Amino acid sequence: MPELTTPLDLEDLRATIAEIIDVDIAEVTDTADFKEELDVDSLLALEILVTLERKYGTKLAESNLQKVRSLNETYALLAEQLEAS
Amino acid sequence: MLSSVKGSWCLVLGASSGMGRATALAMAREGAHVCGVYFGTSAQQEEADALVEELHGLGVRTSFHNLNAAKPQTRAEVAGRLAELTGPQGIRVLLHSLAFGSLLPFIPRDGQPDVITPRQMDMTVDVMGHSLVYWVRDLYTAGLLGRGSKVFALTSRGDERVMPNYGAVSAAKSALVSHVRQLAVELAPSGVAVNALRAGLTMTPALIRIPGSDVLAERAGGSNPHGRLTTTEDVAEAVVMLSASDSSWITGNVIDVDGGEGLV
Repeated sequence: MPELTTPLDLEDLRATIAEIIDVDIAEVTDTADFKEELDVDSLLALEILVTLERKYGTKLAESNLQKVRSLNETYALLAEQLEAS
Repeated sequence: MLSSVKGSWCLVLGASSGMGRATALAMAREGAHVCGVYFGTSAQQEEADALVEELHGLGVRTSFHNLNAAKPQTRAEVAGRLAELTGPQGIRVLLHSLAFGSLLPFIPRDGQPDVITPRQMDMTVDVMGHSLVYWVRDLYTAGLLGRGSKVFALTSRGDERVMPNYGAVSAAKSALVSHVRQLAVELAPSGVAVNALRAGLTMTPALIRIPGSDVLAERAGGSNPHGRLTTTEDVAEAVVMLSASDSSWITGNVIDVDGGEGLV
């Protein structure tokens, strides 16, 4: 179990994702499509998954890659995982 | 001259499964310490943790990193760690076993509109091909690849044959083989050997991800003159064998490790 985890917060998640994919925070709108609009390839999507897993102390299987499509969808995935754990 | 790898360090990129994992174990059985880079979520982390435990059981030292091997920061971090671990000796073996690519067709078909995007094509060729060049260069300039050290890259029959959905990976493998030749020549004055191993069809997690791989496996198993598929241990054994000399005279080759599968 991770020692330090962060509570889920949409703005914090937005900043984290913007940092990983190296774009301005303003570009990560709630619904911007990572793949189509922010040029995120599957390796960057995995990077998002790995970073969030560590940050929030939860398990996110690689099969969740398809759900890392937008900020809203990523938030929903995390909320669901954190609730289940 | 033959020289033992005992006490030397090997660096395995893509260490948590498949050929990387098998090579880590095979080198450790010869007494080599293993530095491994892999990238993934907790599932891969658990696989890697189990491997590290197994390696410690063989009495060698390890340094494992869950990091994206395609990033410059990862190369800098791992090279820094290796410099501390190996001292002036540097590493004996680098195995590039990175399998992370996009498996999509180039041309859309009825019922399958998804095709590879420029971004996915670039990522695939960068991770599975070009990253070899950047790793070798960074390790070399850090003084970690000295006379007698060996670099191995892993290609497949897909570097010249066509398989469904394999176009981007095929391009990456072709680039990889080209990079092996170029690096071999540029590193010859330094006595560093660079070769590609072309394994026959091997049931690795990377292969199983390819749609239709079960059909390919059945065909290859049937046609291989040895009557079976290649195993990850076959490939690991080849790495161990080719690392057992301090000569750099075997360099710039694509060496088939396929039991003759490519001949028939």
